[in-house]
Amino acid sequence: MRSKDGIRFGLITFGIILYLDLLGLPLTSGNSVTVIFAFLIGLFSLLFLRNRPGQTRTRSSTIVNGLLIGAISGVGLMSVTYFFASLQADGVRVNQVFAQILPENTGALTGLSKAQVLDGANIWPGLFKIGLAFMLAGFLGGSATLLFTEGTGGRVQRLGGSSVGHYVVLALPLLFFGLFMLLKVEGVQLGGADENILGLLFVFLFISASLFAFRDTRPGIERKVISLLLLALIIILPQLTDLFQNAVLSAVVIFVVMGLGLNIVVGYAGLLDLGYVAFFGIGAYTFGLLSAPESYILVNLPAFGGVTFWSGLPIAILAGVITGVLLGIPVLRMRGDYLAIVTLGFGEIIRLLFLNLRDYTGGPGGVLNIPAPIVFGIDLGNPKGIFYLGMIFSSIVAFVTIRLRDSRLGRSWIALREDEDVAQAMGLNLVVIKLLAFATGAAFAAAAGALYASRQVNIFPDNFTLLVSIDVLSLIIIGGLGSIEGVILGSIALIGLPEILRSVNEYRIVAFGALLVVMMILRPEGLLPSARRQRELRGEGIAEQPTSSE
Amino acid sequence: MDSFFEIHGLHKRFGGLGAVNDFDFQCDQGSIVSIIGPNGAGKTTVFNCITGFYSIDGGEIRFKGELLNDRSPDRITRIGIARTYQNIRLFSNMTGVENILVGMEPHLRSTYFGSLLRTKFTRNEERRAHTEAVRLLEFVGIPRHSDDLAKNFPYGDQRRLEIARALASKPELLLLDEPTAGMNIRESAETMHFIQKLRDELGITIILIEHDMRVVMGISERITVLDYGQKIAEGTPKDIQNNPRVIEAYLGRGAASGIATYPAT
Repeated sequence: MRSKDGIRFGLITFGIILYLDLLGLPLTSGNSVTVIFAFLIGLFSLLFLRNRPGQTRTRSSTIVNGLLIGAISGVGLMSVTYFFASLQADGVRVNQVFAQILPENTGALTGLSKAQVLDGANIWPGLFKIGLAFMLAGFLGGSATLLFTEGTGGRVQRLGGSSVGHYVVLALPLLFFGLFMLLKVEGVQLGGADENILGLLFVFLFISASLFAFRDTRPGIERKVISLLLLALIIILPQLTDLFQNAVLSAVVIFVVMGLGLNIVVGYAGLLDLGYVAFFGIGAYTFGLLSAPESYILVNLPAFGGVTFWSGLPIAILAGVITGVLLGIPVLRMRGDYLAIVTLGFGEIIRLLFLNLRDYTGGPGGVLNIPAPIVFGIDLGNPKGIFYLGMIFSSIVAFVTIRLRDSRLGRSWIALREDEDVAQAMGLNLVVIKLLAFATGAAFAAAAGALYASRQVNIFPDNFTLLVSIDVLSLIIIGGLGSIEGVILGSIALIGLPEILRSVNEYRIVAFGALLVVMMILRPEGLLPSARRQRELRGEGIAEQPTSSE
Repeated sequence: MDSFFEIHGLHKRFGGLGAVNDFDFQCDQGSIVSIIGPNGAGKTTVFNCITGFYSIDGGEIRFKGELLNDRSPDRITRIGIARTYQNIRLFSNMTGVENILVGMEPHLRSTYFGSLLRTKFTRNEERRAHTEAVRLLEFVGIPRHSDDLAKNFPYGDQRRLEIARALASKPELLLLDEPTAGMNIRESAETMHFIQKLRDELGITIILIEHDMRVVMGISERITVLDYGQKIAEGTPKDIQNNPRVIEAYLGRGAASGIATYPAT
C-alpha cells in the first residue's frame, strides 16, 4: 500500500466530509458525529484499498495511510471552515443559504456560537481541536484495519479476507442498528444531535452496511443466516422509524425502483437515456387520471375510471411499456450522444404535455386526491405503508433484473453495449433487444410512478422535470453501473442524505456535481460496483497483452 | 443448380470512389479459397458487403441460391454465414465463454418470460449452451481461460476466440479476415493447420483474406486477386504465382521475382 493511496483516500474522505458539512451535518448532529464519519470513512477507504487483489500491506504502512487520511481530511476541513468563517467575518455574503448554514456549522465544529463566529472570534483553538480529532480518527481507522487481517505483509484477496475482518464486516450492520435503537432509549443523547436526523443517518448506515455484509458472506449456511437476519431487521424497520424517517425512506425506495429500471437501459444495454422521467410521469399520470375523483376520465368517462391502486398499477405499467416502445422505435438507429439528446427532448415533451393538455391532465393544477393503495382493508396511504410497498416493489424489480441479467437477453444487452455492429453480426436482432431494454426500464419506472402518485396524493407536471432523470442517472453511476446493491446505495447517498437538511435541497446539486467529479476520477466503477464492472475498470491486475498493430 | 456461394457484378462506391467494381466470385461447398490483393484493394469491403455491413450499389450475392442483397447482418448470420475481423472485435469486457454464448444466439430459443420464470426449457438450454461453449474453446485450443475477460487474452488466443465465436453460430460459410495478422511464422503455420481442420472436420467452406503468402499458397484451393476494386486474376495457387499482372500489382512494373520464388507450402 503506497502513501499515494493514502493521499487519494484522504482527499475522498475530505470530499465526503465537506459534502456532509455543506448539508449541515455538524449543525444537526454535532461535531462528534462528523468525527465518527471521518473515522468510518478512513476505515472503509483502507478496507477498499486492501480489497484490491495483489495489494501488499504492512503494519506501518496501514497506520501511516490512516494518519494521512485523517490529516488530509482534517486540514482540508480546517482550511475550508476557516476560509468561509473569515469571509463571513469580513462581511462577504457567500450565498444566502450558505450564509445561514456556514456560521452555524463553523460554530458547531469549533464549539462557538453563531454570533461569535460572525463577530470574528478566534476559531483556531476549535479548528485545531477538530483537526486533531480527525487525525486521531484516521489513525484509529487505520489501526482498526490491522485487526481485520491475520499477520502482516500478507496478500489480502477480499474485503474482510481474514476471519476477524470478515466477521467485523458482518457485524457492522448490527452495530448501526444497535446505535439506531439506542437513540430510542429515553434520555440517551449523542453529541447533542437531533434524534430524528441522527436516527435516519444510522438507518442509512445500517442499510449500507447490510449491502456490504451481504456481499461479503460466503455462500452456504452463512449467507442464509445473515440474509435472513438482515431481512428480518429490514422488515421490522418501518415499525421502528418515525413519520419523518419513513417519509424519507419511502422516497428512497421509489428511487431504487426507478434506478433499477434505468440500470437496465444504461448499465446493461448502454443506451444513454436522459428522458427517463417521462416513464415515471406516464405511470404516475396514468394511475392518477384513472383514479382521482375529479380527473377528466372519472368526470367524462366514468365507465373507465375509478380504479383502485391494484387495478390501476398494471394499466400504468402497460402505458409505460407502450411509451417505452414508442420512444424506442424512432431512436433505434441512434447511438451515444444523439440518443441522449433525443431522449432528453422526449422527457421534456411528456412534461409539457402534462402541463398544456389542461382539459385532460389538469395542466399546472395537477391531478388531485389520488387514492391510496389498500391491502386487505389496510390503508397504506402513509409513509410507513408506502415504504413497505416500495420495498416489495424493489424486491420484485431486483428479482426481475437478476433473472434477466443472467439470461441470454442480459448477455445480448452487454454485447450491444460493447460493440453494436458486431452484436448484430452475431445474429442478434437489435430491434428486439433494444426495445426490450426500453420497455423493461419503462415498466419499472411506471410502477415507481404509480407508487409515487399514491404517495404524493396530488401530482403536478413540476414533479417530473429533467432533474429527476439526472438524479436517477447520477445515483446509478455513483452506486456503480450495472450493480443492484449499487442502486440502493446510490439512492441513499443522493436521495436520502440530502433530506437530512431539507432547506439546502436546491443546493444539493452543487454538492452532487462535486461528488460526481471526485467519484468519477477516484472510483469510476462506483461505490458498490458489479463484479463485471470492477473487472472492466480495474483490469484485475493482469497485464494488458500487447496487441500488435496491423 | 446454383453454386454454393456466388457474387455477380458486385459494385460498391464510397462517394465518387469505386471501392469494388464489377466483381465476380464463386466457390464450392467445402472448399478453401482466398482473396488477396495489395492494401486498399477492396478485400474487406467485399466481406462487408457479403455480411450486410454495407449496402451494395449493384450486382447480386447469392448463398445456396438465396439472394443476400439488402438483408441485415443478423439475418445473414442466421442463414449460415459467419465472419471474423481484421482488427479483432471481441466483446472485450465479456469472458471467453460469454463471447461464445453471444455467438450462439441464432440457435437459442428461450424467451423473455421463460428467462424470468427460469423454466425447465430455459435452464436446460443454458446448460447445454454452456457445455457447448466450453467444448468450442477446447476445440480451438484455448480451454484454460474460459472465465477471463476477452481483453486479457493473449493476442493469438484472441484470434482463436474470435474464430470460436464465429463457429458458435454453426456457419456453413466462414469468412476469415487476415486470421494470421500479427503472428510469427510458427503461429501462422498453426493457424493454417487449424483452418484446414475446420474444413476437414466440420465441413465448413472458408473464404480467406490473407497477406501471408505462405498461408495463402499453402491452403487455398483457388485464389482471387483484387486490385483497385477489380478482379485481376483468378486460379490455382500455381497460376497466381506465375501471373504477371499479379506480380505487377504487388511489386510494380519491372519487378520480376518475389512472389514467384515463394515455396508452395
